[in-house]
Amino acid sequence: MKARFAFLIVLALGAGVLAQPAQLEDPDWSPVVYPLQRLPLIFSHQKHLARGTTCTTCHTTATSSQSAVDNLIPTELQCRGCHPIDRNDPAKQATPTAACGACHPAWTAGSVVQRVYLTPPPLKFAHAQHGQTACETCHTGIRTVDLATTRQLPTMASCLSCHKSGSEERHCADCHLAKLGGLIETQFEHGRLVPGRDGLGDQHGPGFANNHTQEARQAGNTCNACHDRSECVDCHQGVVKPADFHPGNYLALHVIDAKRGKDCSACHRTESFCIACHERSGVGTRGISAFSVDPGQRFHPLGWSSQGPGPNLHAQEARRNLTTCTSCHREEDCLTCHSAQPGAAFHASPHPVGWRNSARCRALDRGNRRMCLRCHVTQDELGCDWSKR
Amino acid sequence: MIPSATMSRGAWLAVALAATLAPAPAHAYEFWLRAQTIGQAYQLRDYQLVGPDLFLGRRRVTQTLALRITDVGDLALARRLARLPERGLRISWQSYLRIDHDFGDFTSGSVTLSNPALRRDAIDVIPELSDSVAGLDLMYGFLQLDGLADDRLMIQLGRVLADDGWGTTGIDGGIARYQMPESVAPIAIAASAGLRVRASSPLGVTSYELDGTSGAGCQEYVEGTTPGTGAWQLIDRNRMITSSRLTSDYAYCPQRDVRQPTVGVTLATTHTKHFGAEVGYRRTWSDTVGLIGPVDRLDTPDLGLYPNEFGQAPATGVDEERLYARAHATFSVAGIAIEPYGDARYSLLHALVDRADAGVRLRRGDHVLEPALEYFYPTFDGDSIFNAFSIEPTTDLRLGYRYGEHGTWRATADAWLRKYAHEDDTSSFAGGGDAGIQRVIGAAWRGGLDALADTGYGGRRIGGTAQATWRGDQMFWVRGRVIVLAVAEDATSSTLAAHYVTSSASVSTTWRVADSVALHLIAETDHDAIHALQTRAIAVFDLAFAPEP
Repeated sequence: MKARFAFLIVLALGAGVLAQPAQLEDPDWSPVVYPLQRLPLIFSHQKHLARGTTCTTCHTTATSSQSAVDNLIPTELQCRGCHPIDRNDPAKQATPTAACGACHPAWTAGSVVQRVYLTPPPLKFAHAQHGQTACETCHTGIRTVDLATTRQLPTMASCLSCHKSGSEERHCADCHLAKLGGLIETQFEHGRLVPGRDGLGDQHGPGFANNHTQEARQAGNTCNACHDRSECVDCHQGVVKPADFHPGNYLALHVIDAKRGKDCSACHRTESFCIACHERSGVGTRGISAFSVDPGQRFHPLGWSSQGPGPNLHAQEARRNLTTCTSCHREEDCLTCHSAQPGAAFHASPHPVGWRNSARCRALDRGNRRMCLRCHVTQDELGCDWSKR
Repeated sequence: MIPSATMSRGAWLAVALAATLAPAPAHAYEFWLRAQTIGQAYQLRDYQLVGPDLFLGRRRVTQTLALRITDVGDLALARRLARLPERGLRISWQSYLRIDHDFGDFTSGSVTLSNPALRRDAIDVIPELSDSVAGLDLMYGFLQLDGLADDRLMIQLGRVLADDGWGTTGIDGGIARYQMPESVAPIAIAASAGLRVRASSPLGVTSYELDGTSGAGCQEYVEGTTPGTGAWQLIDRNRMITSSRLTSDYAYCPQRDVRQPTVGVTLATTHTKHFGAEVGYRRTWSDTVGLIGPVDRLDTPDLGLYPNEFGQAPATGVDEERLYARAHATFSVAGIAIEPYGDARYSLLHALVDRADAGVRLRRGDHVLEPALEYFYPTFDGDSIFNAFSIEPTTDLRLGYRYGEHGTWRATADAWLRKYAHEDDTSSFAGGGDAGIQRVIGAAWRGGLDALADTGYGGRRIGGTAQATWRGDQMFWVRGRVIVLAVAEDATSSTLAAHYVTSSASVSTTWRVADSVALHLIAETDHDAIHALQTRAIAVFDLAFAPEP
């Protein structure tokens, strides 16, 4: 029944995904890098290029431009090179067209011409450095459109087709604006710059702060282009818990997570972190709750560490999730019983079935015999072919 | 006097403070600072069998300082002024310093030992408290030389952060990364070497230790009259615990203080558009300290850590030796972006795969679906006997869903199922899920509801969270959150299963004092069957505040 229910949930979620229309926004043109434009113009690149007009005929400053903030849009002066515009005769009939309304569609006599707004992209770019590259290499499709929009501006992918090293984290600031210290500037008046969806991971959506394992682990990730490493350390080696990571009253609630073996080690070193608090609050080996005469207050149930017949419940816990045990117990607590030495109480072997001569035993013995020496001291006890007689 | 890690840290603290306060010539390099001043005040209980519980105050002040100094020596100035991408040798510095002090009863108070009845400083009885009482930690601090060898080589020297197979760790040493020519292979090779940062390292950080085991209660081996008849005992166990305000005089663990050389190498793909992969190797080892030496020392007091009557102790031992690999890809089918990924780590020291995961992220429009599998086999530092005890791995099946990353409505849902594989070939399970929605209401309000339910090994929880944020202007905003959870702890680890309801409410405010300066205040109150009322407060003064959009 449960399996069927789970299957239905998966099916519903899958159907929800597939039923959606294809992605509406185009991830190649970030609205932060390519801010919205207002182009109240009539113009056809297609027609001009078909007549043999070259790009630099109109965009005269393109070849010498050193910055992305340079305005390379042709002014009336460039248009006058071919079009006999006469401001005193706004409706002038001529070939090529010279009437104001031929290019400014909403203009009427006496009204103000609507301005063209092009917010400069927050990028570093010098056309002058790309003089040897044909315009259409980057401005693809320009020959087929009338008015050029952001879609005729080069995407980052097209930049990287030549500048292959640009995909490396250390080269992000070659093009993107950087703050003092070299980190990429991500906060702009018109939005926040986040990684694209293509290949570099998530768009930092809801839950990303708590769930970015895969992005951080991917080879060649570019996290540190924008984020200082201290931002990682704030949480992962931090002294203050992020407000929205653990639920409220987590002091009471963490018990279940810890028992289930949730990996806390991304932020906490389990024993040193846990023991200090457990011991100090009396929920450890020092505290009275571990040894209380009142069974209701005992931390472990009766039969927890049965010496001889009994449930010996602690064995299951230790095998399953020893990190929970280490939140209160140090090694010497285990050695009290689990040791081949004369001082140990029961010489109880903690090793699993098949340990003798196992690959794991041989690897540990070969790599670090110090661990073995904590229990096995004499010569005939050492090595993986020894068995307790 | 017995040396200890905490004592050593205290000495380094003094040296570092002196160095910090010493006058230094001024330079005009371009630099970036990020500083936070964090104050916390709350109480924790010391549970008492007889009489009312004690309340221990925890008053903690933390100061962090992240620093980046770029283009030391102005080597890239000319190209920068010419608006050219920076090439050639560039030198920079990155560091993160943290000063932390807990001056409440929790760490600075005292405890009563029952037999004999003595009152001693808590830190002397519980050495692990040393991590909190006072610390000057250099989390990382390295000089970076970039742009060497035709811009293919980068070198970092100092306290660097290196990959340890499933995260990063601090190394006092260096990292070199070489980008191979494109004509050879789109691969970068990185090698790191140095001493792994330990709690006992200069300005060391406890959290960089391999694991948290075998901490304060270190033992020594005291020889018997004939070889092999000695016994382990706690070091200086009969010594009277004295009082020491900032350090523990009980923590004497020479093996924890010994240097840990480490080397690592990784090969990673670069400049590959839809695919990335990496393989790596790391080995960390340490010398055995306190070897007993010749047998003729039998009559002398033994300060050795390991028995060595007949040469059974190794001169060195491996603390970790791992191979790891990871890969991910991105492609699109029928309008669905598909991003599979996989990671695996093999411990040569344990001769087993101790971590692995595999999953795929499916994205279409604003919907993201992510099924994944994760495998975990607990392993420990090579010095830890826990390696012999821990033998049951877990496997997780996870399913995550996200909707509306930037829309008015946002939703998340996650489900998980964990399988415990027991030694006798049987299995047990735990599982659960959570789901939540967020709604952006106008320019000022944002609200959300989350629900959580899980059951299985450890216990059951069910409940939910409601939260709201008001951001009236760019200078001040308030967040509130209420949580109610019903809990039933598993009876396998306590005599009586505890059933209770816990509730928690928190309010936090952010006051943007200036453009990048903010004061955050957080207050939380909790109520449950054990604790009638608990409150805590946190204040953060942020000198590098960047508001979320």
